[in-house]
Amino acid sequence: MGNLGQVTIDFERSHLVFPILIGSILALLGIAILITRRDRIAASGPNWRQTFADMDKLRFFGTLVLTVLYFSLMVPVGNFWPNTGLGFLICSIPYVLATGLLFMHERPLRQVLVMLVIAVIGPSFVWWLFTEIFFLTLP
Amino acid sequence: MEFLSIISPLFLFLVVGGTFVGIIFGAIPGMTATMAVAVCLPLTYSLGLENGLALLLGLYVGGISGGLVPAILLGIPGTPSSITTTFDGYPMAQKGEGEKALRIGICASFVGGIVSLLALYLAAPSLAEFAIEFSYVEKFLIILFALTVMAALSTDLLMGIFSGFLGIFISLIGVYDISDGGNGKLRLVPPGTEYWLDSGFSLLPVLIGVFGLAAILDQAELGVPKGQSRGDVKIGKGSSFSFSVFKGQTVNLLRSSGIGTFVGILPGVGGSAASILAYSQAKTFSKKSANFGKGEPTGLMASESGNNGLTGGALVPLLSLGIPGDSTTALLIGAFTLQGIQVGPLFIGNNPDTWNAMIFAMLVANIAMFAMMYFAIRYFALVVTIPKHVLFPIILMMCVIGAYTINYGIMFDVWTLLIFGLFGWLAVKLRLEIAPFIIGFILGPSAEIYFVKSLESFGTLSIFFTKSWIAMLLWVLIIGSLTASIYLSRRQAKIAATG
Repeated sequence: MGNLGQVTIDFERSHLVFPILIGSILALLGIAILITRRDRIAASGPNWRQTFADMDKLRFFGTLVLTVLYFSLMVPVGNFWPNTGLGFLICSIPYVLATGLLFMHERPLRQVLVMLVIAVIGPSFVWWLFTEIFFLTLP
Repeated sequence: MEFLSIISPLFLFLVVGGTFVGIIFGAIPGMTATMAVAVCLPLTYSLGLENGLALLLGLYVGGISGGLVPAILLGIPGTPSSITTTFDGYPMAQKGEGEKALRIGICASFVGGIVSLLALYLAAPSLAEFAIEFSYVEKFLIILFALTVMAALSTDLLMGIFSGFLGIFISLIGVYDISDGGNGKLRLVPPGTEYWLDSGFSLLPVLIGVFGLAAILDQAELGVPKGQSRGDVKIGKGSSFSFSVFKGQTVNLLRSSGIGTFVGILPGVGGSAASILAYSQAKTFSKKSANFGKGEPTGLMASESGNNGLTGGALVPLLSLGIPGDSTTALLIGAFTLQGIQVGPLFIGNNPDTWNAMIFAMLVANIAMFAMMYFAIRYFALVVTIPKHVLFPIILMMCVIGAYTINYGIMFDVWTLLIFGLFGWLAVKLRLEIAPFIIGFILGPSAEIYFVKSLESFGTLSIFFTKSWIAMLLWVLIIGSLTASIYLSRRQAKIAATG
């Protein structure tokens, strides 16, 4: 097997060797999947429609929207009080409350109040633990 | 015995506390040991390596063990590895033997945990010593073998392999690091994203996204199913527990624990395979096989000793080769990385105190798990009633802390969490396999270095076949695992076709 598969790697282009190899294997595997599962793939439209129909859209997309808002606001809010982690705390309280209320099935006043208390105590405790005890950076 | 200086009251508190929290996570359907470790990972940032590992190992043992509570009381596996526990545990609970079933499961879990710990203590150093001699060629082939084993045990071989390679591909995004012998140039980075993707995606936000956020999105899609009320949890007092139930079960317990440990050693296979294999073997060898699935304690013992056997087994490849045995131990790699420690063949030899402290932590975690669950099982049983609308928002918030603090305050890591949370949710719909993807993502950068350096050193592809007898043996194993998988999937298809 002396000269079989001889390879010279140019150091300047060595960063591309493995990605090209893995990319090519992925492409081949992708083609194999398309060929062997073509019937299933062709019939996947109704499955996706069914998945979408069965989905609890309010809770799923509500979670996504709240999470994107939460992530987006943390840093701008935190910039008002730099290096205090208050951006995290101020955004986490309404986020925990809103997602908690979103995930509830019934919302009697007592449960809403319990959720409100948890939404205040939970993030406050976590904020205190990580900033005051563990000295970690929070937004 | 210098490691004893590491064992402080804080260390013991963290192991016991971690086990307690782990049991709670495991006991709540939809939450897993992996999620427990992911959520609590930021707590370890300031704890130091040994104390951090004490917490995480406690969470791991507790998380795997806690899964038996809902499996027995509600017929819902708390963790995937408890699936076979429902087969006999739930029927026992239905007959009013819930408490007895729980105690049988707890004892079997303890046996599984101890047997696997013994296997870890004996096997990992020997395997590591053997692996020290490996060159880049053998190291690359070990990773290839790990990926093929995982893919072979996936539900769909082709999708499993594709997922593993996809994980590798995504791990290559960013700069080819000079510290690893690379040329410092970027690749696979879309224009305009160089600032964020210079170092690629960080491991922990990816893991937390795939195992934490994705699980909650999954539950949100289902409408966050209502939890159980106290009235649903019937622990029963119909038949009291006695250790005599284990009479004649030594072989079953040892075999199941051994199977669990062995499956754990195979990279990325996971607890459900361990318990299913242990359960099916117990059924095959039992004289009461007809009673299996109707409340037979033998089946319950096999399932629980099998899945706890996984805990020590999964740490063997992690600590000796640097390859995670399952998704939870993949997160432990993150904990090691945080502390600047690279796991691999040199780890045990270079860090004997950490190694001994880990073994001690696992031992304490198993004892704590047994003591807590055995004597307080009535209280742990109520954990299944904790409402998800309270837990999930707190978990989401903890996921954010884990992602944000990993690199000392990079907001892009938080967005990575969201990107991979969505990916993890979507991957299941596309029938991608998460375990091979994650292992591919973790091992991708190492695979690249081993592959490229092998070629730079030897200049020929044939070196991967001719370097040593170990390389040849690894190829035999790679081809063997793929062939066995193809054979098994064809046989399964044939059986399904003939009804």
